[in-house]
This record gives sequence, structure tokens and C-alpha cells, in this order.
Amino acid sequence: MTLIEQGPHLMSSVGSLWGMWSGTPSSSITGGGLLWLAASTAVILSATAAAWLVYAVMRRRERRLADCLADLVAAGEHGEEDRDFAVRASIGEPFDSVLIALARRLSDAAAATSQRAELHTALEIKYGRLTAELAGLKKVLDLVPDPILICDAAQNVSFANRSARRLFAMDSDSAEGRALGTILRAESLWELLSAMLRRKNAVEQGTAWECETADGTKRSFQIHLYRSSLQDDPTGADEEKAFNVIVFRDMAALCDLRRRHAEFVSSVSHEMKTPLSAIRAYVELLADGEGNDEETRDEFLAIIDAQTTRLQRLIENLLNLARIEAGIIKVNKEPQSLNDLLEEAARVVEPQAGLKQITLRRELSPLYLPVLADKDLLLQAAINLLSNAVKYTPDGGTVTLRSRLDDDSVLFEVADTGVGLTPEDCERIFERFYRVDRNKDMASGTGLGLPLAKHIVEDVHRGKMSVASRLGEGSTFRVLLPRASHQTVPAAG
Amino acid sequence: MSVGKTILLCDDEPAILKAAEFKLRGAGFRVITAGDGEAAWEAACRDCPDLIISDYQMPRLDGIGLLRKLRADERFAGLPVIMLTAKGLELDKRMLQETLGVVDVMVKPFSPREILARAKALLEVETPA
Repeated sequence: MTLIEQGPHLMSSVGSLWGMWSGTPSSSITGGGLLWLAASTAVILSATAAAWLVYAVMRRRERRLADCLADLVAAGEHGEEDRDFAVRASIGEPFDSVLIALARRLSDAAAATSQRAELHTALEIKYGRLTAELAGLKKVLDLVPDPILICDAAQNVSFANRSARRLFAMDSDSAEGRALGTILRAESLWELLSAMLRRKNAVEQGTAWECETADGTKRSFQIHLYRSSLQDDPTGADEEKAFNVIVFRDMAALCDLRRRHAEFVSSVSHEMKTPLSAIRAYVELLADGEGNDEETRDEFLAIIDAQTTRLQRLIENLLNLARIEAGIIKVNKEPQSLNDLLEEAARVVEPQAGLKQITLRRELSPLYLPVLADKDLLLQAAINLLSNAVKYTPDGGTVTLRSRLDDDSVLFEVADTGVGLTPEDCERIFERFYRVDRNKDMASGTGLGLPLAKHIVEDVHRGKMSVASRLGEGSTFRVLLPRASHQTVPAAG
Repeated sequence: MSVGKTILLCDDEPAILKAAEFKLRGAGFRVITAGDGEAAWEAACRDCPDLIISDYQMPRLDGIGLLRKLRADERFAGLPVIMLTAKGLELDKRMLQETLGVVDVMVKPFSPREILARAKALLEVETPA
């Protein structure tokens, strides 16, 4: 029995004591007895008051505790067990045992809460990592130049990469969740795609599709469809979880490559057939005895000789270009003195300049300019530039060869007082077989010398070749090369 | 006899021009030469040739451009033109013959003998026995 229920019984016992005292006849009581009676009455009254006080305080605490437990239970955060504490407390189970059980329960709950908190933190970290990973993957997909769409089995778009958003004119937010049919903007594409999706093959490749963008550019694609399910389930139970990745492979680069290849073959064929044609024609003329006099025969033979040289040079240039591009030529880079190399190139071109009374001026740096280079290849590039300058400079002009240090680079320039180039020529001058029509009469050429030189400088030596020119005033070809580090500089001598 | 018949030769390669010119002139034709389509047009207007033998790829005005210009002018509507080209299979011969009235397409490397034979046949010159 708890104090709560003991309370009324206590009261009744005090009441009976009072009744005993009031009902006792006064005659039987002595004076000393009277004093004792008064004292006992006072003691009993004080005890009663004290008992009342204790009872009231405990009762109040008990109520508060019961309220707290009731609140706890009412908060709903706890299970049956917690409700049980309130019940146990209210039906008068000894308080200490209830409290011990409650304390144990609370400590268990605390442990569970801390476990939950740990799990929550771990999940939060994992979630954060997955979110970042997903964002990273989306960024990667955004970098892919081919448009990519991902849609679920119900054909709602779940992702469109940047190229796809651009192709179908969508914002990044407006793509997700939209029905595939509504974003495609082209009936023909929707028909094509829905047919592909209906067939439900794991992979569908290479369906061609062409379209015209808003600015009128024609684009051609090959559509690839990859169908996948989140779990590879052969029973097909995860049908609704399947998703489709649609890749639009842009054919522009491939078409461009094909076109350039065709152009290249056509140019090579033209450049080869022209000298071959001349050779055949003059051989036939000589065989037919058309050249009666020795002078004519000599002239024909000189033409055959020149055209043979031209053909030979073309083939050599073509092969060199192909070999360098394919990496067949063994590039042997060693520390070189740029000035020594340029001096050697100038000596090679000097006789050609002499024939046209062209002054080949050297303005080489007094400093030692170290470059890490393949001597044969870089020499070839320098000779091509110098010989080109001599070819397109009228008789009596000047070709200047300069070199100098430029921060972390070394540079050399070939400047001429020649015919010069238009801005359009400057843009195309390094293209294979590009020759400036109006200058074709000045010299023979294959249209491969400059592309070859640029290739040697830029692809083999990680340098940079550029041209600056004014029509009628001359051109300056500039070559910038990385300066070799001091460690690689050989001892002077 | 081929005397009096004028042939306009047009090619941007001087060596080729010279070879064909030598062969045709040797056979008695009057030969004029041009280095590109534009020069050929001017020469055609000036000299009214009986036959044009023209290259396909040329600076300024190419063979097709020259033909279009010629066919658009009634003076040259019926003028026979032989196309001499380094192009091969990629050439649209039907278009050249049907649309632009090219009478013959000869592919480089060419034979001066063949050119002369074609010129003679076209200009109905009797080959001396």
C-alpha cells in the first residue's frame, strides 16, 4: 500500500485518539495527569501536523512524478514499457523499484538514442557522399559533347546532359520529370525513339537522325539506346525499374574527318598528277621526234628533270608528314644551340637566295639559346621557312633570320620583304596543299612545306608557329620553342 | 588543213600548257594560251577560238565557272570544249557533258598525241595521208 492510500488511515487513527481523550471523564484525572495529558496532546498534535506535512509533501511529489510519467507517456515517443512505468507507479509499486527500472530503461533508451545518432551520422555522411557522387556524375555527363537523355520505363526524363538540353532547348530544371515525347520537338525523332523503346532490346545502335537547329545548321546524329534495370533481374520483375540511356552521337566530327580525308586524297592526286602529266607529255613529244633541234630537246629534258624533282619532293614531304604524324620517325631530342642550328639552315638556303640576289641577313642573339630538339627535324623546319621566304621574295629583296630569348622560351623569326599575305591567306597558310593562287607563278611548291614545319615545331617540339603579314610588304614567320633547362645545356665547345 | 583554226588552251601549269601548245602548233593550228579561267574568258572574247581545251582546277575562275560563263553567252553556245583534268572518279562526267555541253573529258596524265587527234576530229581536219 502506498502513502497515498495510507493517508486516510492515518487520519482515522488520529481521530480515534482525539475521541479517546475527549470522551474520558475529568474526575479520574489528577493535576499531574492533567499536565501529562496536555503535553501528550501537544506531542500528538505536533506529530499529527508533522505527519500531515510529510504526507502532503510526499503526496505532492508523488503527483508530480505521476504527472511527469504521464507526460512522458503522452509525449508518445516511447513504447508500451514506458506507459507501464506510469501504471506501475500509479498502482502503488514501491517507488524505488519503479525508479530503478525507470533509470535502467532510461539508460537503455540513452544508449539506443546514441546508437541511432551514430547511425544517423553515418547515413548522413553516406548520403552526402552519394549526393556528391551523383552531382559529379552529372557534371561528367555534362562534359560529354554528345547529347544524352536518361528516362525511366514510363518514358519520363530523369536526366538530360548539357548537350541534350541545348539540342532540345531546355533549362537544367525543366528537363527532369518531363515526358520524353514532350521535349523532343520533332515528330520524326519521337517516332524513331518510341519504336526503339518498344522493341525493348538491351542495346539499339546506330539509327541515323538528322535535324536542323534554330539557327539553321544541319546536324546529323547516330542514336544509340542502352536499356538497363537497376538490378539485373532475368525474370523481368523489375520491369518498372528499368531505365533507358539515349545517346545522340554527333556525326559532325566524323563527317568533317571524312570530308577532309577526301579533300586530302583529291589534293594529293592533283599534286601528283600534275608533274606526272608534264613528264609523260614531254617524253611523248621527244619520242615522236617533235623536238627537232637540240635547244628544244634540252628544254624538254630540263622540264622533265624539274617535274621529276617536284614529284620526288612531294612524295618525300608527304611521307615525312605521314611518318611524323604516325610517330614512325624516331624523334631524337638532344640539347642543341638554336643559333648553331639556324646558322646551318641559313647556309643551306644561301645558294638559293644568291640566285635571286636576295640578302640573307642574320640577326642572331649573342646569348646561348638552349633548346631540346631533334636536330634533323628542327633544321628541316627552319630550312622550309627560309626557303619559303626566298621563294616568295622578289629578286634583290631581303630575308632576315632573327633569334632571341623570350622569358622561358627561345624564339626565332624569318622575316621577308616579299609579296605578303592577306588575312585569309594567313589563316589557311598552314593547311596542307594550300597555295596562294596569285603567287603560284613565282615558284613551284607542294603546299606541304609550311604544314610540315608547323607540325615539327608544334607537335614534335611543343612550340608555337605563327605568321604576321601585310600584302605587298612581306611576311614574318615566328617560332617559339621552350627553353631547355640549364641542366641540359652541354658544355660550351 | 588545220590552218586558220584557232584553239584556246587553258591551264595553270605552264609546263602542261607548253607541251600541248607545242604539239598542236606543230600540226598547224593557231594556239592561244591562258593561265586561268578569267584569262581564258578574255581570250575567248578577243580571239573567238574554234575549240577550247581547259583544265578543271584553276585559280580565279575554274573550268566549271568558265563553261557556265561561255554557255550563258550566245556567241559561244555551240563552241566545242574539251575538259582536261587531274580529277578521276569523283568527276561528274554526265553533268559536264549534258548540262555544260563538254564534248570530251580527258584525264591527266594526258597524251599530246591524243589531244591532237581529238582536236583534229572535232575540227574535222583531214589527217594528211
